[in-house]
This record gives sequence, C-alpha cells and structure tokens, in this order.
Amino acid sequence: MLTLHQAGFTTTPSIAPLDGTLRPGELLAIVGPNGAGKSTLLSMLSGFRPCEQGELHLDGKPLDEWPITTLANRRALVAQQELPGFDWQTFELVSLGSNPCSALVVELLHDLDLTHLAKRSVLSLSGGERQRVMIARGVCQLLSRRSSTAKDGGLLLLDEPTSALDIGQQQRLMRQLRAWAERHCMAIVCVLHDLNLASTYADQVWLLHQGRRIAQGNPAQVLTPRRIEEIYQVNINHIAREDLSPPQFLLAP
Amino acid sequence: MISSAPYVRHRYTLPLSRTTRVLSGLTLALIIALGWGAASGTLGVSPWSVFNGSASELSVQVWWQLRLPRLLLGVAVGAMLAGSGAAMQGLFRNPLADPTLLGLASGAGLFVALWIVLFQGSAAGSLYGQFAAGFLGALCVCLVVFGIAKRQGGGSAAVMSLLLAGLAINTLAGAGGGVLAFIASDEQLRQLSLWGMGTLTNALWRTTALALLLISVALWMLLRSAKELDLLQLGEATAHAAGLDATRLKRRVVVATSLGVGLCVALTGVIGFLGLLVPHCLRLWLGPGHRLLLPASMLGGALLLVVADTLARTLGAPAEIPVGLLTSLLGGPYFLYLLMRRNRAC
Repeated sequence: MLTLHQAGFTTTPSIAPLDGTLRPGELLAIVGPNGAGKSTLLSMLSGFRPCEQGELHLDGKPLDEWPITTLANRRALVAQQELPGFDWQTFELVSLGSNPCSALVVELLHDLDLTHLAKRSVLSLSGGERQRVMIARGVCQLLSRRSSTAKDGGLLLLDEPTSALDIGQQQRLMRQLRAWAERHCMAIVCVLHDLNLASTYADQVWLLHQGRRIAQGNPAQVLTPRRIEEIYQVNINHIAREDLSPPQFLLAP
Repeated sequence: MISSAPYVRHRYTLPLSRTTRVLSGLTLALIIALGWGAASGTLGVSPWSVFNGSASELSVQVWWQLRLPRLLLGVAVGAMLAGSGAAMQGLFRNPLADPTLLGLASGAGLFVALWIVLFQGSAAGSLYGQFAAGFLGALCVCLVVFGIAKRQGGGSAAVMSLLLAGLAINTLAGAGGGVLAFIASDEQLRQLSLWGMGTLTNALWRTTALALLLISVALWMLLRSAKELDLLQLGEATAHAAGLDATRLKRRVVVATSLGVGLCVALTGVIGFLGLLVPHCLRLWLGPGHRLLLPASMLGGALLLVVADTLARTLGAPAEIPVGLLTSLLGGPYFLYLLMRRNRAC
C-alpha cells in the first residue's frame, strides 16, 4: 500500500533517505528520542510536507500526484494535540471531514469509550478524552469516505496517540487499533514514545535517531536492550520472556 | 479478511428543521426591521402610502431616493461586516478576529482618505476610485496580518501578536488620517469628515447598486467556503489530510473580506465591532459550524445595522447620530467583557 524509495528531506528538519513498505492490515510504530524526526517523517507520509528526494507511493502512485480530496479518502492524520478554537460538540467534531452516517459515529464513540461524552463540548473534555475524540475523527474519515471498490481500509497516521492516556486507555486504544487494522484491512502508522506499547502491538518498528533510521524490522529485532540504552542514553532492565512474546523494558532505578 | 464497505454513506447535516428555523426566523426579523426602518424617519412616510399614491410628491421622492437605498445599503454593509467577521474568526481559529480589530477597516479607511486627498475633483477621485482604494487598503492589511499569523504559528502568542498588530495598524492609520487632515484643503476636509464618521447617509442609487452587486459576490464567496472553514478548525495538517486545500481557502476568504470590507469602508466609513459582536453571539447560540453560522451572521449583521441605523436616524431627529458611533458604543463594552471572560478562563 505505502512504499518508500529513498524518500527523505534535504532541508532541516531533514530525514535521511529511507526505503520501506507498509501492507494493509499492518501496524507500524515509529519510535525514537525527542527530536529524532518522528513527526517530520509522519508529515512526509501524510503528504503535508512532500518529500524532497526519492519517491513515496501510495497504491503505486506518487503521493504528490494524488488530488488532495481523493487522497483524503485513502489516508487520515491525527496530529498531536491541537486545541480546536471553538466549542464543537464531540459528535460534530467526529463527523468533521466526512459525511458519516450516525451509526458509524456511534460505533466509533463506543469503541473508544466516548459514548457518554457525545453531546459534550470538546473544550470541556480532558486531554485524554479529547485525544480519543480526534482519533475517532480520523478513523471516521477513512471509513466513511472509503469507496465501495477499495480493497483495503486506507492508511491511518497517528502522532503520539497515547500521550495523554492512562494505562488502561492505552491498552484499550492499542487493542482497538489492532482490531481496526484487522477488521477493515487498514494500514496504521503510529508515532510512539512507549517502547513497551510498540513492542507489544506493532508488526514493524522503525527506530529513528537524529533524522536517520537506525533500525527497522519486527519489535524483537529492533528493540534490543543495547541499542536502546545507547540511543536513549538510559539504563534499563530488560525482560525477555521465554515464550517469545515481545521484549519489555523497565527503567533501572 | 477484506470486509466490504459496511457503512452506507449519506449526508450528515444539522437537522434541517433547525437550520431552516433559524435562518427563516432571522429573515423574518430582518423584514420586520426593514418595514420599521422604511416607515420611520424625520419625514414620516409609510411605505404603504408611497405605493398606494396617497403620499405627497416630496415624500415619494424622499422615500425612493434616500430611504430605500439607505436601507438596502444597511443590509449589505451589515451582512458583509458580520459575515467577514465570522469568516475571519474561522480562518484565524480565534473568536477575537474582526475586520476593525485587526486593522482591516482602518487600513482601508486610510487608503480611501489618501485617495480623497490626492485625487479629489479629478475623474479618478470618483466613488469607483474610492472603492478600489478601500479594497487595496484592506488587502494590504490582510496580507500583513496574515504574514504575522503565519510566522507565529498557532497558540496564544499568535493571538496576542495579531491583536497587537491590529492595534499598531489602527494607530498608524489614525496618525496617517491626522496627517492627511492636516494637509487637506477645506473642501477635502469636509468630504473626509463627512465620510469618516461611519454613517449610511451617503447612500445614493448610483453607488448603492454597484455596492450591492459587489458585496453579493463577496458574500457568495464566503458562503461557499463554509464547509472548508469547518475543516480548517482541525488544524492545518489534519485539515490537509482531510482534503482541504488551505491555501486556496485562505486566498478566497482574504480576497472576499478585503473586497467586501474595503467597499463598506469606502461607502460608509468605519462601522466598528459589528463583525465581532454578531458572529460571537450567534456562535454561543448556534454552535461553531460555519454552514449555519455564516448565513446566520450575515442576516444578523444586516438586522443589527438596519435597527441601529434606524435608531440613529430617529433618536435625535432631526439631527442624526453616526451609526458607527452607536455600534462602537455597543461593541466596545462587549469586547472588554469578552477579554475579561477569557482571562478568567485561563
């Protein structure tokens, strides 16, 4: 679905050229220290900042050749928290950017545990609640604008979707993302800070550092204790479990 | 694995009944206000007597040549100022944006004054020249303000610098106006002060007809942007991903507001706070969706200006209070109240 050939930015903030593919139903986690270029890479993938070198294809067609409205049927972006200027109702805000049937909105609100907030003003919600509203909006855009001939559910880009969530909501959201990826055959890209979440739920992990991709592959390949200690400058205790489940990390005291 | 698209697409809009109810209610109120405005004035002519022929020749003349164009101009200017206020608030994603506050109106005013002083008496000094000058002035200010907003990104710092830029432009335009008044001849000075107070007195068919036409174009451009303005509220990156060409939207709204506000200023001088007051009150009532807010603001602005102008004509009759004075007296305290409420919320 999404393919990169030596795509990158030459001007600052720069991204060194990188290759990669993302298939429908896959969840890709982009991790790395602060200022590694994660959000910049995400804005390249969304086409908001077109790549300056190499090529970036969606469905085999260069991203900058897509008409902006057609592209919106195929990929949605949930940026980092931005306060909406006016007091939209939750239900209205989720419907922005598409003409969803109300059944879809109701379902998404239910999926993200927002049903009781449907009539509330988004400005009165907490940070975590608002974050889930914005995620619901992104998914709603993809599902309601999906054409009947589309073979997959499109591309969902999320910038730190768990930054304001408690651990229960983090788990619920990541499980929900997996469920959407599977049910709608959706490709999902998440910028994540929590390595344990990336390790537990992602199919693919890209580790960025200073605008360069240091490693890519499945979580166990990428998230090795030595690499993480080196790049994040951190002391960790690593839990490698015998049942081959994904590695987990604890901060050393 | 691959599921077929399970959701039937259909248009979600506000419940039709509500949109219709609100807009037709406002239209009705506007018609009533127009009826009242048409019937009252120094010379008591009822529109009824004009049509059934019982009024005197003079009354009929006054009604057709003075009162009717004035009412129509009030509708157009009110709709334009409030509509552009609503659109600019959407564009800047900030409820404090307003053509007067950001200096658009005073920038247009300075250009028009400059035009009057430089070209008065010559062919270029005609009202059409003033229209063009007003448009140019508003456009210049709009571009400056936009440059500042762009450099600052979003957030509260941007709001502050926008308001400060507006203040600077207003001060500058005020000083420029002072200089012009200083160097102007007596005749020019008379024309300047007649025009500058913010009144609808100068309504003549010749100018009103053209203004109505151009303002309708600007209003139509704004109405067409309603859905895109909604999208822009998501933030630029997200809105882009949702299919919004923000550059095109901005260009259209900037051109429409500059055209409209420039025209209004060239015709009536600066009528303050209408663009702030009306959309803000309506947003509290109707919510922030522009598909309803924009047309409702236009109707509400027209309504408010027609009522205010009728009051201005009748309160101190036979003298006349400049209507700009009246709206500023109304809007100034409201703006202060808004600021205080915002500070408390922080």
